[in-house]
Amino acid sequence: MQTFTIKPFEVPAEAAALREQVRSLIREHVPPGNIARRANSWQVNDPAFSRELGKAGLIGMTWPKEYGGHERTALERYIVLEELLAAGAPVGAHWIADRQTAPLLLRYGNEEQRRRWVPGIAAGEIFGCIGLSEPNAGSDLAAVRSSARQDGDEWVLNGQKIWTTNAHIAHIMIGLFRSVEGSERNAGLSQFLIPLDTPGITIRPIINLTGEHDFNEVFFDEVRLPADALVGTEGAGWTQATAELSLERSGPERYLSSMVLVTELVRHAAHTGEPAAVALAGRFAAEAWTLRQMSLAVAGRMAAGEDPALEATIVKDLGNSFEQAVPLLVQQVVELDLTAPEPLAQLTAQLLQVSPSFSLRGGTREILRGIVARGLGLR
Amino acid sequence: MNEKQTMLSDMASALFAALSHGASTDDWGRIEELGFAGLLLDEAAGGFGGSFEDAGIVFRLAGYNAVALPVVEAILAARLAADAGFAASGTGTIAEAASGAISGDGFTGALRGVPWGRLADFVAAPAPDGGTMVLSTAEARVEERENLAGEPRDVLHFAETPIQRTDADLFGLGAAARTAQIAGACDAVLAMAVGYVNDRKQFGKPLGKLQAVQQALAVFACEAAAANCAAVGVAQALDRGDAGFEVAAAKGRANMAAGVGTAIGHQAHGAIGFTEEYGLHPLTRRLWSWRSEFGGEQYWMETLGRQVVAGGADEFWSGMAGRSDPPA
Repeated sequence: MQTFTIKPFEVPAEAAALREQVRSLIREHVPPGNIARRANSWQVNDPAFSRELGKAGLIGMTWPKEYGGHERTALERYIVLEELLAAGAPVGAHWIADRQTAPLLLRYGNEEQRRRWVPGIAAGEIFGCIGLSEPNAGSDLAAVRSSARQDGDEWVLNGQKIWTTNAHIAHIMIGLFRSVEGSERNAGLSQFLIPLDTPGITIRPIINLTGEHDFNEVFFDEVRLPADALVGTEGAGWTQATAELSLERSGPERYLSSMVLVTELVRHAAHTGEPAAVALAGRFAAEAWTLRQMSLAVAGRMAAGEDPALEATIVKDLGNSFEQAVPLLVQQVVELDLTAPEPLAQLTAQLLQVSPSFSLRGGTREILRGIVARGLGLR
Repeated sequence: MNEKQTMLSDMASALFAALSHGASTDDWGRIEELGFAGLLLDEAAGGFGGSFEDAGIVFRLAGYNAVALPVVEAILAARLAADAGFAASGTGTIAEAASGAISGDGFTGALRGVPWGRLADFVAAPAPDGGTMVLSTAEARVEERENLAGEPRDVLHFAETPIQRTDADLFGLGAAARTAQIAGACDAVLAMAVGYVNDRKQFGKPLGKLQAVQQALAVFACEAAAANCAAVGVAQALDRGDAGFEVAAAKGRANMAAGVGTAIGHQAHGAIGFTEEYGLHPLTRRLWSWRSEFGGEQYWMETLGRQVVAGGADEFWSGMAGRSDPPA
């Protein structure tokens, strides 16, 4: 048995140059500001920085040029993403559109949808959100009840989505709706591209435990969309949405959300020489290095056109556990005054509070482990 | 895997599965016949001309099959002897540690943790003053010891025995090899556990249907995957050259995996896994041994921590991620 298949791949020749490009962009455009904003930075929005990345050709890197993309390789994109995340750059505004919305449109969307939206996403000017979860459909996504009914040439949407990250800044949502009345579970679902300024949509904030506004409730009340708002095939929404989820499973954001704190712990260990802090720096380095090997291996296989779904799930589960453990271990090892303005304290305080979400978003730990178990031949 | 690696893997799989933990020293000829000891030697020197990545495949399979012979050690010893210009004949092994001193070209002291030292013709060991020394065991006094799995881990005593030297990092190579063995053994324990819980029925259904069991084995699968990726990563780094960072990271991480994997592997098996007759312990007792051999978890975390701290916080990420970038 070998659960994790590793195939050789080449790190791009331009890797070092790409890293330098990203670093200089960050130096130029990300003001020092509030250190806590560098934690979990792919959920920190800065539309101006997103536009700068767009201008620099660092969004939509792998997409065809005719849709505003740059036809770079998937591994070149990987290098850019890991540099942005390790530095704690605020990439939240465009993250979902770059990772999911546009790739989904390029894969399943019609020509009109691609031309209308993808170039703006690549420019860092159009942002997206994901309409999957509902009040009674969380981990049990197949329980989706929001509906789409055909009325002449139009689709009419009704229902409610919840935990919708960035609905309040996004221009479009790709949402999963039940398009066959009376259908059950994962049959009869379809995906729709929904401009969020369409009449009948109400977006209400849900404030998280740190007082921040990341996610929302989105209500649909007789929302009328043209026939071509359907994405892909009617009734194939489940297959398309689960393919979408696999796009988001094993990227570097799945283990790097606490990397800025790891860096500050290294600084603390260097400054104080405390043996326990030095050893903890080593442990973080060992785990992060291993996770990077794993995440890159999956990226390499995806770049080769494979779908290493089991490996991707393993990376997410292990990566989430690591990034979640970082603030707890720092707190365990270092005597911290969490009210102090020092970066180590501020980042620890922020990550202690936001890290519970790491093993919830994009598939809970329990769901992921169920998928791994099935991959092992259990269930 | 490339074609050469597939061939190597097939050859090692078949032989190692046949030998397994029941192998005796009488079986050593079968290892020699296939030329495994020359895996890391140049083709010009009659070897296989293999890379560390190639060797890692064999090391992993040795671990997977719990081979009770010093195949891993012989491969490393042959390479170190060649590096040191030691005219090797017969079978070599490696030592984990040396105490004593070198005066002139002679070593006086003891080597500890020598796998099958009692049978070896020569041994490579970390030299007390740095680097690696290679010496004949012909005049050594042998104090026989065993690890948890009953594998010889002898202490060899030397008096003014001539040595040849190389600046290779034997302890690091040993750690990289044990990482691959841990990776293989973790996969083997996981496979046994999955097979067992799918087979064994309680509450009217296979144990594998119980979510508590599934979730535990999923955790183990993640750890086994981490150990395997660490093993490949460190082998690739050895092939690139400087692998000080990767050796520490890989063995440290694999030790964590061995701890989790042995615990979950036994838990899944219940009482049967705790018996002598059942084939779990040849793997888990090796894992517990390897978890200490060539550096425990804290040792490598501290070693890596000192490296990282010396590099400075601002170089931490770039230093780590840039290590595998192609030269600009």
